[in-house]
Amino acid sequence: MARLEVIAGGRAGPAAGPLPAPPAAGLVEELYRRHAAGVLARCRYLLRDEEGARDAAQEVFVRALRALPELRASASPTAYLMTAATHHCLNVLRASRAAWREELARLARERRAAGIAPEARELVRALLGAAPQEAQEIAVLYFVDELTQAEIAEATGRSRPTVRKRLREFLAAARGALREAFPELSLPEPEELP
Amino acid sequence: MMTELGGPGVACSVTRIRRLEAGELTGDERARTEAHLAGCARCRASARELAAEREALLASLPFERFAAGIAEGLAREEAQPPRRRALRAGMALAAVLVVAAALPLLLRVVPGPGEEGWRAKGALELTVWASEGGRVRALAAGEPVPSGASLRVGLPAAGLAHAAVALVDRDGVAVLFSGPAVAGAVGDAFEWTGAEDGWLVAVLDDRPVDRDALRARLAKGGVDAAGGAGAEVIVRPLARGAP
Repeated sequence: MARLEVIAGGRAGPAAGPLPAPPAAGLVEELYRRHAAGVLARCRYLLRDEEGARDAAQEVFVRALRALPELRASASPTAYLMTAATHHCLNVLRASRAAWREELARLARERRAAGIAPEARELVRALLGAAPQEAQEIAVLYFVDELTQAEIAEATGRSRPTVRKRLREFLAAARGALREAFPELSLPEPEELP
Repeated sequence: MMTELGGPGVACSVTRIRRLEAGELTGDERARTEAHLAGCARCRASARELAAEREALLASLPFERFAAGIAEGLAREEAQPPRRRALRAGMALAAVLVVAAALPLLLRVVPGPGEEGWRAKGALELTVWASEGGRVRALAAGEPVPSGASLRVGLPAAGLAHAAVALVDRDGVAVLFSGPAVAGAVGDAFEWTGAEDGWLVAVLDDRPVDRDALRARLAKGGVDAAGGAGAEVIVRPLARGAP
């Protein structure tokens, strides 16, 4: 490839002419105030590790600042950042090769011992490991962020039929996994999803 | 027993409440959401969860720690994706990432008609900014890029949604940016190292410009192979100044 040195923070310089406004301390503060709580909560929810969640949340904002024009051009910075956080954490989980795919079995053991049904979001997280990669992200945006299928299509740049297809894939994989871990539970049909 | 996995309700969405609290909703949408929130138990429960998230943030990651982590992250070397690492090893090249103070860059390059080696379809102009020694200046068209100067590329307002910018030289292709075609500076500031002359190539398109496909086209067919059907292409030759 062509030889170049990328200057880190190279988008952060003082603006001149049509350069975008610098991500000054004010911008970092604004991002923190408006979005950091949600992003950290998403990282904590998916990674289940406080230190890892802090690192992941900060990484999401570092990447967002590096792609500032993209963030600013997004229809909803909230949806953009939550989607980015979800995507990043699912990648971290895949890369860590941790036993997150055994989440469902762990959850089933715990809940049987306690004698109570799993909470919805807890169940969604446990079922993620059973689903194909792309369906995982769509499932989190739908079931946890409560984005509509149209909003997911906009936030992820996919078509609505693709979003619907990924949700079907998630439910199909989840149904299979649930039969073993929680045979008493059944899931809604994809057609029933709003 | 049928279980509930959640998902959006007819009028309920935790993301809508997040957007309300982040100040993203205006006008009717804001009024509708506020009115709904006031009368909906499910959404009020969601709002309480968001309040708990904010408390958890303050306890776990106060602003000072967050800001320090962001500054460190921005200054850190970017990890290279495996595919690019393999390519780099194969070509025995090293694109060194460095930490440096952010520099403003100013160099306006106007592709003039009839100038040899220049091509700008549809009268689109590629803008490039440069800075050296902390001083910002504009280079005249055709003026060599000063050794060690920091460069940034700017896109014109082309009315197209997506863009990618690549640097092509003797050592191959480096994609500097791909994403929304926002008029103005795009991508990171960079210093052009290596040797011999090269080209900056911008591709603007209605569809997203796939950076890997662009890199492959440029590597195989040179700058003439940059554009796909319907894409606008701007090519700007780059000459090197004396070190």
